[in-house]
Amino acid sequence: MKRYQLGEFEEIVLLTVGVLYNEAYGVAIKGEIESRLKRKVSVGAMQSALRRMEKKGFIDSRLGEVNRLRGGKPKRYFTITAYGRDALQHSQDVRLSLWNDIPGVALDL
Amino acid sequence: MIKQFADVIFRWYCHPDYYPDIQGDLEELYTGHLKNKVQFPQLKYCVDVLLLFRPALIRPILNNTNSNNIAMFQNYLKISLRTLARHKMFTTINVVGLAIGLTSFLLINEYIRFEQSYDSFHKDADQLHRVSYLVLNENGQVMDKDAMASYPTGNVLKKELPEVLNYTVSKKFDQISIRSGQNIFQETGIISADSNFLKLFTYQVIHGSKETMFNEPWSVVMTQSRAKAYFGDINPVGETIQVLMPYKAELKVTGVIEDVPDNTHYKFDMLLSDKSLKDGDDYENWDYNNYYVYLRLADNTNLKAFEAKANEVFLKFEDDGRSKLDVHPVQNIYLKSDFTFEPQPLGSEKVINFLIIISIFILIVAWVNYINLSTAIALERAKEVGLRKVVGAFKHQLVIQFLCEAFIINLIGGLVAFFAAELLLPFFNQLIGKTIILHAWSHLPLVYNLIVFFLIGTLISGFYPALVLSGFKPIAVLKGKFQNSKSGIITRKALVVFQFSVSLILIAGTVIVYKQLHFMQTADIGISVDKVIHVQIPDSEAETEEEYEVFLSRFDSFKENLRNHAAIAAVGGTSNLPGGNASDINSTTTRTRILGFTERMGGTVYIQYNDDSFLEAIGMKLIAGRDFDKEMKSDSAAIMVNESYLKRFNLPDPDEIIGETLQFGETEDKGKRTIIGIVKDYNRTTLKSQVEPTIYMPWMNADALVIKFNNAQALEFVEEEWGQFFPDVPFDYGFLTERFAKLYVQEERFGNTFLVFAGLAVIIALLGLYGLASFISLQRSKEVGVRKVLGASQLQIIYIFYTYFFKLIGVAALIGIPLVYVLMNSWLDNYAYRINFPWIISFSSLIVVGVLAFLTVAYQTSKVARLDAANILRNE
Repeated sequence: MKRYQLGEFEEIVLLTVGVLYNEAYGVAIKGEIESRLKRKVSVGAMQSALRRMEKKGFIDSRLGEVNRLRGGKPKRYFTITAYGRDALQHSQDVRLSLWNDIPGVALDL
Repeated sequence: MIKQFADVIFRWYCHPDYYPDIQGDLEELYTGHLKNKVQFPQLKYCVDVLLLFRPALIRPILNNTNSNNIAMFQNYLKISLRTLARHKMFTTINVVGLAIGLTSFLLINEYIRFEQSYDSFHKDADQLHRVSYLVLNENGQVMDKDAMASYPTGNVLKKELPEVLNYTVSKKFDQISIRSGQNIFQETGIISADSNFLKLFTYQVIHGSKETMFNEPWSVVMTQSRAKAYFGDINPVGETIQVLMPYKAELKVTGVIEDVPDNTHYKFDMLLSDKSLKDGDDYENWDYNNYYVYLRLADNTNLKAFEAKANEVFLKFEDDGRSKLDVHPVQNIYLKSDFTFEPQPLGSEKVINFLIIISIFILIVAWVNYINLSTAIALERAKEVGLRKVVGAFKHQLVIQFLCEAFIINLIGGLVAFFAAELLLPFFNQLIGKTIILHAWSHLPLVYNLIVFFLIGTLISGFYPALVLSGFKPIAVLKGKFQNSKSGIITRKALVVFQFSVSLILIAGTVIVYKQLHFMQTADIGISVDKVIHVQIPDSEAETEEEYEVFLSRFDSFKENLRNHAAIAAVGGTSNLPGGNASDINSTTTRTRILGFTERMGGTVYIQYNDDSFLEAIGMKLIAGRDFDKEMKSDSAAIMVNESYLKRFNLPDPDEIIGETLQFGETEDKGKRTIIGIVKDYNRTTLKSQVEPTIYMPWMNADALVIKFNNAQALEFVEEEWGQFFPDVPFDYGFLTERFAKLYVQEERFGNTFLVFAGLAVIIALLGLYGLASFISLQRSKEVGVRKVLGASQLQIIYIFYTYFFKLIGVAALIGIPLVYVLMNSWLDNYAYRINFPWIISFSSLIVVGVLAFLTVAYQTSKVARLDAANILRNE
């Protein structure tokens, strides 16, 4: 686990970046998470998660077009890197193996 | 508007790289909110901005454009920590040394601050002054300085001079016995106070009215802790207490004030209203200098000019030209006063200066350790320096690196010192006999001192090694042909010499202080106080002549009963017991002459009243004439004088003076007394002061008894008799030897303080020496190998190392011993009776330093001397 340090919220953001593929920028990611998870996301929490993951190398970013709607500021699009993919994969594998190992009766509630 | 403001804030703290796109997001969300008519879009914007303040998003705190510097600093830190971890002995010695040094320095400085803080806590402390009395000789030179002045001095100066805003006059009483309910207290801290007293000395009033508490005679105001001792926690105003001795009276408590702190020259436990003073005639009398007179002067008064004006006023009342007033700031009294009759023992500026010197020495010795050791291990660091230079380090970068190391060592030392100071405070308070502060951490000046001297220490101890280490030439270093520079070795030698000198001075100083103390405690003071107790006879309370006669006959038979017992050798009476402090005596400034021998001469003459057995009881000796005799009626007009009196008046032959007449005062026919005996000088108080010219007058009913025992059964008998004769009064006695021992408490404290800190300084120096010896023996191991191959024996090798250190000790002796002489001689000069400067002690201290150095170095040198030459030289 130590190789890929991925927090729960980070994982969600990372997955959302994947979902949005080429259209993953701040407002879009925020909107996506809010609509899918039905929970409020603050710009601060999301942005710091994004920058942290960028530093760790899970995602890449590029600057996009300038938009009047945004007060002349560019968008920043995020994409998952190969390392980021591995991290997601790893996290999924771990969960899956845990799922698989739960004896059937344990969940027969 | 709010949004713009929030944006400015956001731009300020946000990381510049992230700002444009995040701000874009915010803007987009905002426009979205506006479009969807969401409530309070601006507020939402602000909340978002607030929530964006996160470590991952904010601007870097060290806003350095050249981020390389930070990386280098991190590297210095890492390398420093590694170096310190590798050289464990070096680090330990330095940290321990610096910690001891700083702890001592901090504690001593708190003590000094305390000593200098005397009387500075009053409101307008700067303008409080005391008026004292100077006695002049014929030529107008000052002969005696008396802290007390006469009662009217205060109100007359106030009336005549506008600069005097207020004044107070106070008298200090000797021991007074007080009964409260079933308890009897012996009070030594009672002084008189008028209604101005608390306006000058601004102690907080807790109960009672500041304006009226001194209006009535027989009113008493207590400090909080005394009130508690007497009455517990109740408000004692209105309660009464009984004075048993020296006279009977009932006192009414009219107030309670806060406790008087330690740092005042005029401490007291109770204030007795001025109006209850028995000697009412003192109020107008200019001759009785029994009062402390304090003035509150107007702000910015020129003291010199004021003193001159005060003396003009004084001349109207005392025009003999033989006396003068002296006005001095109250804040200066404790450390600077050289007056007699001070209300309590004073501090000494000299002791303070000594302590300042010691504390600075200790600190410097610790810094020197760091300098010495870090230049000594320079050889090991040389390669590192060379390599750094080759890959492009500038000299100033290396300096910073080595300063960084000094910083870390000093920081650890400082932290240890801080905790040590906190832990050791109780012991320190005990050592100096005062509670200066309770906690190190809550005392800001101490913390401030710590930080300042930690920084100074870092610079002083770090700078020289940093310069030396950073100055290495990379080519020479990396070629491997590198030696420590000549000047570096000389500096190191000089520093070691300095440490040895300091150790020598401190050891010799300590021994000399103890020697003087021992001298004073065991010196022949001219009387024998062994097995002598003292006890105070209660007041007669007689109201008529007859009652007084009855009391006297009882008193006489009490003495007679004691004298008849075999275990009691003698019973004498006196006005002033031997072994009191310097001011415990009567005196007069009236001029005296011996008819036919001298003119009238000024200068204070001291007076003691004795009965006819006093000399016998304490073993005083006569060098001419005889003692008083109760049976001879004419003896009521007889006196004795001491040798010093004769000396003062230049009368060489004591026998010649016997039977001559001594006259007091100016009147032709009055005040004549016959001299019947000349007493050998003896020291009635500490050996700090000279034996004063003293006149002994007869007082057959003197009420302070000294009782000389033959054996221990006597005490029981005296107590029994006391119970018979004075059943109301407790039998409260003491031994004269104890009174004398108490005189030297301050000296003993000074000696102990000196001992502790001298010991610490020597320990630091030896620690440094140990480290130095180990590095030097390591560096010279190759030389040892070669010498051994060429045939040197172990002893010869050891000899080489010792000559190195002993040469340094020799130089240290040349510097240290003269300094010991200068310093300690000036200290000894404080004492009227002092030991000669003990040269032998200086030299034996030298031997002590030598032996300590020898032992310190022994392990390292013997180790290197035993080394196998083959092993050392194999790598060559």
